Amino acid sequence: MLTSTPRRFGLLAAAAAVALALGACAPTAPAPADDSSITVALPGSLANLYVGQENGILNYYIASIAQEGLVTLDANGEIQPALAESWEQVDDVTYVYTLREDATFQDGTPVTVDDVIFSIEKAQDPELSPGFSYYLGGIASMEETAERELTITLSAPDATFATLMSTTGALYVTSRAYWEANEGTIGTGEGLLLGTTPYRVTEFVPDSHVAFERVDTWWGGVPEIEEVRVDFIPDENTRLLAAQSGQIDVAFNVPFQQADQWAAIDGSEVQFLNDLSYVGLLFDLEVAPFDDVKVREAIAHAMDRSAVVESVLDGHGEVALAIPTPESLLTAYGDEASSRLEALPQRDFDLDAAAAALAESSVPEGFTAELTYPATGPELGRAALALSANLAEIGITIDVREVTIEEWLATIGDGEHGLGYMWYFSTTGDPGEVISYLYGPENPSRYTNEEVQALLADSFVESDPVVRADLILQAEELAQADLASYPLWWGQSATAFLGGWTIDTQTPFVYTNPWPALLTRSE
Amino acid sequence: MSSAPRRALLAGWASSFWGMLTLRLLGVVAIVLVLSVLIFGMMHLIPGDLVRNLLGLRPANPETIAAIREQYRLDDPFWVQYATWFGNALQGDFGTSIRYQVPVADAIAQRIPLTATLAVLAMIIAAVTAIPLGVVAARFHQRPVDRAVTGVSVLGLSAPAFVVSLLLLYVFAYYLPIFPVYGGGSGDPLSQLYYLVLPSTALAVGLGAILMRLTRAAMIEALASDYITFARSRGLSETRVLLLALRNSAIPIVTAAGLVFTYVIGGTILVEAAFALPGLGLMLQDAVLFKDIALVQALVLVVAVVIALLTVAVDLTYAVLDPRVRSRRRAS
Repeated sequence: MLTSTPRRFGLLAAAAAVALALGACAPTAPAPADDSSITVALPGSLANLYVGQENGILNYYIASIAQEGLVTLDANGEIQPALAESWEQVDDVTYVYTLREDATFQDGTPVTVDDVIFSIEKAQDPELSPGFSYYLGGIASMEETAERELTITLSAPDATFATLMSTTGALYVTSRAYWEANEGTIGTGEGLLLGTTPYRVTEFVPDSHVAFERVDTWWGGVPEIEEVRVDFIPDENTRLLAAQSGQIDVAFNVPFQQADQWAAIDGSEVQFLNDLSYVGLLFDLEVAPFDDVKVREAIAHAMDRSAVVESVLDGHGEVALAIPTPESLLTAYGDEASSRLEALPQRDFDLDAAAAALAESSVPEGFTAELTYPATGPELGRAALALSANLAEIGITIDVREVTIEEWLATIGDGEHGLGYMWYFSTTGDPGEVISYLYGPENPSRYTNEEVQALLADSFVESDPVVRADLILQAEELAQADLASYPLWWGQSATAFLGGWTIDTQTPFVYTNPWPALLTRSE
Repeated sequence: MSSAPRRALLAGWASSFWGMLTLRLLGVVAIVLVLSVLIFGMMHLIPGDLVRNLLGLRPANPETIAAIREQYRLDDPFWVQYATWFGNALQGDFGTSIRYQVPVADAIAQRIPLTATLAVLAMIIAAVTAIPLGVVAARFHQRPVDRAVTGVSVLGLSAPAFVVSLLLLYVFAYYLPIFPVYGGGSGDPLSQLYYLVLPSTALAVGLGAILMRLTRAAMIEALASDYITFARSRGLSETRVLLLALRNSAIPIVTAAGLVFTYVIGGTILVEAAFALPGLGLMLQDAVLFKDIALVQALVLVVAVVIALLTVAVDLTYAVLDPRVRSRRRAS
């Protein structure tokens, strides 16, 4: 006997209905009994704990439980002491750090200047730390100039350097002795990690979990939570069920469409934070017909950004008025950051203007192109479909295709896709990070505007934050006319806290600190 | 010796038990060799770029990219890369996983116990439920019992493993909190078994459905044959009649069981994802996406060897199950 397709769908629907019905009448979840341990759920596995080797945003959050930098960014994005009790920028290229006297590794050995220099050298090595080496190439020398004093000299001024010495940037301090004893296995289940925070990694099994145990060697004291366990649960339904069964205390990257179900769990809180991510359309200026600015204008005018933020993101995001996020400009402009961005000229959603631009272009009859998006970003897919529907009205056919994140990465700047997505998570929150990647030398759009590049180059050696931000926004405004990129939205991420736990923050920088020590629990 | 007797001698050896076994094992080696070239080639053809996977969307200077390409020898021609891999593999070195940064052999060895237990447990659950049900369905052919069993098997065949997993989770982990929601348990075997009950049941559903239908078909045919009519006329009990028919249906059932085992391997990917189990299925999926060639190569070869050895084992059981096969061999 063969079953017909409609019937099979019927069975599937029935199974799903049963599952939902059972979920609806299930008993309320028991609250976790003790305050001494927490379980954190991640949507995917880490393959390696060392951030220099594997550098997804969640790698930073997990490694920061165990390791620190010389400095750190607090919940407001301000630089604060970490392993260095103080630091000083002597001139444009010289930074002097003084280590804490009580800085100790989790194995009880003291942190020396030599350990810090060693950690930076490892981060500079492109084979050991492909994710960090680019940032630390500008260091000319590192020297122990006095007891506990490290002097770093750069080959040229770099406004972002101060941040780079934090775990938000590119420095995860480890011990030379430990690294050499575990040469070649650092970050794996065998070699693990050694750092200076109150939580030492005790076990790491890829696709399963990472376990941390409290130690009493931290300069900041002994936190309340004794054990932290991070579980990798790839299936979003399983993750939700585990939370409903009371087995999870913190969950990162909760899918937006599930946010209500997470929020409905007793004692839970879903926190939406601007995650410093940027989503925009990316054009390759050497692929026809996108080499024609009129074509790019037609596409920009056909994108209804406000509607996408409202309906696709459920309001959990903001229309991107520029590439730098408002958060990245806080240090420079304070409360005025948003109004500075609002002053930039914008292209409105206007299908008539889109049609007019297309009529003036090299392809007035329209054309067909492909737009791929990564499977990990379903909201990018829904926005692409909305754009495709609008463009169909003026004669442009866009084939929207979901691909794996690896395949999507490979399409960026491949010389075949003239239209694509850019989805960038900035960890440092530096205003120049994303824009220099998109408009600076060797950018994925193959866009060259000497004036823009000169402004960006100037911004990197400018140490005054306001002057620097001005330069970046000037570059942004100039480049907007050329439309090599079209900003769509600044994103948010949802983090769920259960069992009464919470963390007090307005920015994601808190997660590049030993954040389990900052969790508090309400009764 | 002239060539004709030598050929006869060879033919004689080839049809002996050890001869057959040797030939089959040589066949396995040949399949593995061909597969290793094929997979290596396909991994080069699928979209994606290893350097990008390592760097993500970070800016990188050309020196960094060159260093990474050099480190993993990405600029060597295809055949040079393959020859290097093959030479090392012959010496027992299957390379290092780029994604996990550990030797491939260690990465796989750590996960074999979990996936093997999962697969074997699923096979056992499927066999002990499906074969008796198939016998019952065949015995009551076209009666309500048969229709009910067949209906259930359609459900089992059509439901994707992830839907079954979710359903099992809701019922037996959440609504009736008997089993854990996710994970593989701590190291000790009893705890692992407890954690694997639901996943292996999810995997067994599709497997059992196929097995049940094949058992039923084989049994219907056997029960309609003359020797069964004769056995019944001799006044043998119904149980003995069924056992007789089952013994004669054993060959198609065992063959089918061997073949559907390949289904288990695909199923583990879905089930391991649903239950967050650190097994080979999840590892294979990630390795393919990441273009971790050494790891994919070794994983696929492990799977190929397991399947090939299983078919050899199935063939060998014919000799045990069917006296005719044995006596034919002895005669030659």
